[in-house]
Amino acid sequence: MNTNMKKMSILLILLLPLVTVAAQQPNAVEVMNKSRELSIASSLSATLKLTITEKNGSERNRTVSMTTKSYSGGLEKRLVRFLEPADVRGTAMLIVDHKDATDEMWIYLPALKKTRRIVSSEKGKSFMSSEFSNSDMTSPTIADFKHSFVGDQSSGNQWKIESIPVNDDKADEYGFSKKVSYISKNKYEVMKMEFYNFDNELFKVIETKATFPMKDGRYMIKNMVASNLKSGRKSEILFNNIVEGGKVDDSVFTLQNLQQ
Amino acid sequence: MTGFILKFRYIIITICALIGIGSLLLIPRTKVDPDIRNYIPRSIDSRVQTDRIEEEFGTQDMVMILFSDSSILDQDNLRRIKEIDRGISKLGGVGSRMSPFTVSSISSEEGMMVVKPLIGDIPTDEESRNSLRDDILANDFACDIVFSSDMTAASVTATITGTIEENITTDRIDSIVNALPGKAEVMKGGLPYIRKSLLNDVRKDAIILVPAAMLIMLIMLRLNLGNWRSVFMPFSVVFITTAFSMALVPLTGWKMSIITVLVPVILIGVANNYGIYLVARFQELKFYNPDLSVRELLDSLLKSLNMPILFSGLTTVAGILGLLAHSIIPARQVGVLAASGVSMALLMSLLLIPSLISVNSTRLVPKKKRNSETRFFDRLLTALSDIIIRRPGRVLAIALAVILIFAAGIFLIRIDTNMENYFSSNHPVKLASEVINKKFGGSQTISVMIEGDIKDPVLMTDIDRMTNEIESMEGVGNVFSISRVVREMSKAIFVKGEDGYDRIPDSREAIAQMFELYSMSGDPEDFRQLADPDYMKAHVLVRFSKPDNKHVNPVNARIAELAKDMDATVSIGGYALIMSDFSESIIRGQISSLVFAVLTVLLLLALVFRSLKGGMIGSIPLLASIVILFGFMGFSGIPLDAATALLSSIMIGVGVDFTIQYVWNFNLQINSGLSWPDATRTAMRTIGRSIIINALSVMAGFSALIISGFTSIRFFGYLVLISIGSCLIGALLIIPAILLKFKPAFIGFKTNKQ
Repeated sequence: MNTNMKKMSILLILLLPLVTVAAQQPNAVEVMNKSRELSIASSLSATLKLTITEKNGSERNRTVSMTTKSYSGGLEKRLVRFLEPADVRGTAMLIVDHKDATDEMWIYLPALKKTRRIVSSEKGKSFMSSEFSNSDMTSPTIADFKHSFVGDQSSGNQWKIESIPVNDDKADEYGFSKKVSYISKNKYEVMKMEFYNFDNELFKVIETKATFPMKDGRYMIKNMVASNLKSGRKSEILFNNIVEGGKVDDSVFTLQNLQQ
Repeated sequence: MTGFILKFRYIIITICALIGIGSLLLIPRTKVDPDIRNYIPRSIDSRVQTDRIEEEFGTQDMVMILFSDSSILDQDNLRRIKEIDRGISKLGGVGSRMSPFTVSSISSEEGMMVVKPLIGDIPTDEESRNSLRDDILANDFACDIVFSSDMTAASVTATITGTIEENITTDRIDSIVNALPGKAEVMKGGLPYIRKSLLNDVRKDAIILVPAAMLIMLIMLRLNLGNWRSVFMPFSVVFITTAFSMALVPLTGWKMSIITVLVPVILIGVANNYGIYLVARFQELKFYNPDLSVRELLDSLLKSLNMPILFSGLTTVAGILGLLAHSIIPARQVGVLAASGVSMALLMSLLLIPSLISVNSTRLVPKKKRNSETRFFDRLLTALSDIIIRRPGRVLAIALAVILIFAAGIFLIRIDTNMENYFSSNHPVKLASEVINKKFGGSQTISVMIEGDIKDPVLMTDIDRMTNEIESMEGVGNVFSISRVVREMSKAIFVKGEDGYDRIPDSREAIAQMFELYSMSGDPEDFRQLADPDYMKAHVLVRFSKPDNKHVNPVNARIAELAKDMDATVSIGGYALIMSDFSESIIRGQISSLVFAVLTVLLLLALVFRSLKGGMIGSIPLLASIVILFGFMGFSGIPLDAATALLSSIMIGVGVDFTIQYVWNFNLQINSGLSWPDATRTAMRTIGRSIIINALSVMAGFSALIISGFTSIRFFGYLVLISIGSCLIGALLIIPAILLKFKPAFIGFKTNKQ
């Protein structure tokens, strides 16, 4: 499976052609593929605000600026710079996703004036200590799961698709036993995802709150909320200042720039 | 009284039977509470602090699965551990885990900070195994935590969350382990397994001990009373009162603890006494007065025995109620349950037994006394009284010398609140605990919560100092803290020899950015146990390889001292600390319950003998027995623990009877005109025999405890023999000698018989 597509951009789980809704009903894998394809952007810059709300109502916020660019051959580069909180301002990460090789990640720590290359974390692990996992922040890898429709799909305006990891290793990697996705029939947009733990209990729900229209009828999810039903914590991601498809210079993705 | 009994005897019998049946129906509803922390009142500081810390960082009760094999890094062993770890990771009731496959290694490789699993691929050849061994030995988060440094054992540790009942989770872990057999020996330990074993063993104990004690008692009664019809009467009192007391457990909403099992055994030992006196005396009356009617026999019986029985019962209840002054919750419960049982036994002995006698009187055959038995007792007691009469002063001097020798043992007494020691040395849980303590830093912990600006380098340096100092203290296994993670990361960010290498950074931003770095590379959940997400609270977890008070208390004191210099609020809690409080509770409870019991018994004795001096003299055998009991515990190494701490109150309650019976009878002899030596001889020959039989039957009832599954309950059984034995000697040696030597003025008090 294409690594480029799979991780296409942080946060972009997106979708949809306004265009042709095939006259013939697609199968579950086709729906998932289509939904994923529509999440690809050639370049994107935005600010991302992450709000984590504890069970007791206390909140933590982080804001980062982010620039991504896709290259041929499935290569994608991404620069993330922390704006908030103050004590990590200036911390920056450069991530290079290779199609067929291990991803590379550098992080610059301004207080220590050190740049370190680090080995990227597992898909199932938390994204910036939030309820989102790293895999929630990238386009799904279709071949890692067996997909099937749940129930009768002929009526209603959403497809309900169950995705089960193909083997135990994948289940361990992603950290769940089953995912149920609700995808709009007209826009192929992921509206909601439900995650089940290894006791087959629903433990996490991600809901799409708002989308941002991109070129060629594509959309990105602008605002989404992940709720952990076990811990009572919620995490919300909100994108602002979205610029899609603009010109991004390659020099953005260099170690020199990382340290500025 | 006789008229009342004869009029209402069938109603009395029916009510007693109904109480028995009702109680039996309630008993199956009894629940067991194996958690020793519930023995301590919730308001005690260590419990309050532990609850607060656990609210923030989750419960620190951990399950440990141990794998022992001389070549633990073998492919098959590691595969099996991986599969078991994977199975456990999927259980809903499991919180955080530490295993060879969850531990990360943070290292610097060619300018890269590499956070990767300690074991990526399972090594298949000797070279990669050696490389893994080196990695383990160099990793502070792996060596002696998930692998023993001698490479003979590995462990999977998981904290248990409250989402699913603990026993269900441990059962599921057992199934996972059983489904994956292999070469390495598997042991399971940690507090959840200790509690599980306690739960099973408490039930098993109750099922075995109670019938065993009942059986021994039946045999004793049969030997004493000569026929089953006579045995039935006191035995029915024992049976109903035992059932009644145990039914109070579900009725009050209490739960069975490890020591609650003592209640039925106490009652089986004690509750038959009054019945034995009544039935034996009735047999005697009937034997010597065959022509008397039932009403006349009963009248005579109740007049002669009601008062001493009532006093005996009340002093026993008073002694046992001394347990109410205990600060251990189950000890107070045992006090209430046993005192209720004894009160019920007293009431039933005075009502039910005369009712049953009146119904059965024509068929009650007196026991035929065997000549050999009579001769044995006569010879023994005559010899004893001769010695006392001839040299009461010497008897007292020898007794005093013996008491003083035992008194020296009191200074050797030790307190043990470690739950691991409740089990015998070959119990699987005990064996697992030994391996955990020896090779994996222990499973019992002190938790320190530090509330402040954790990213502040000054505070972080203080935390680091605390971590290092505590880890170097004796009895401490491992110490986990966020400062360790920071130092580990500094080793990956700086090159060896650079300024920042293996150091706490000196700016707040640097620490904050390190945390951010880790959250991007590792799993922030890795140190969720060590700091809260806002970094306003940090957690230092101290694991004890020697979880006894001798080692826990100095650590606690040192933490408190170091905390004074910190710019933060520091709370100290954890199981090991609760246990430390528990031992203090035992000492305080022991002293207050002893004082309460001795004073109450002294007062009651003063009332019985109508003299304060009489009360004081009557208390001497008890005080002597207390000294002998604690001295014996000190010399023999039997520790004071949750169970043995109850002994002195129970001993006072039971042992005081002997003194009352003797002084009462001696007084009768004096009042009947006998000289002091003759009164001694007669009292020894008559009541002395009953006292010996009574003491033997109490000891026999308690002797069932010797087969208990718990070490401390077994010790309790042995100690009862010692303490009741010393009460017996006190009543039949010290008291007669004191009376003869000092001829106290209170003797000659009027009894209702006169």
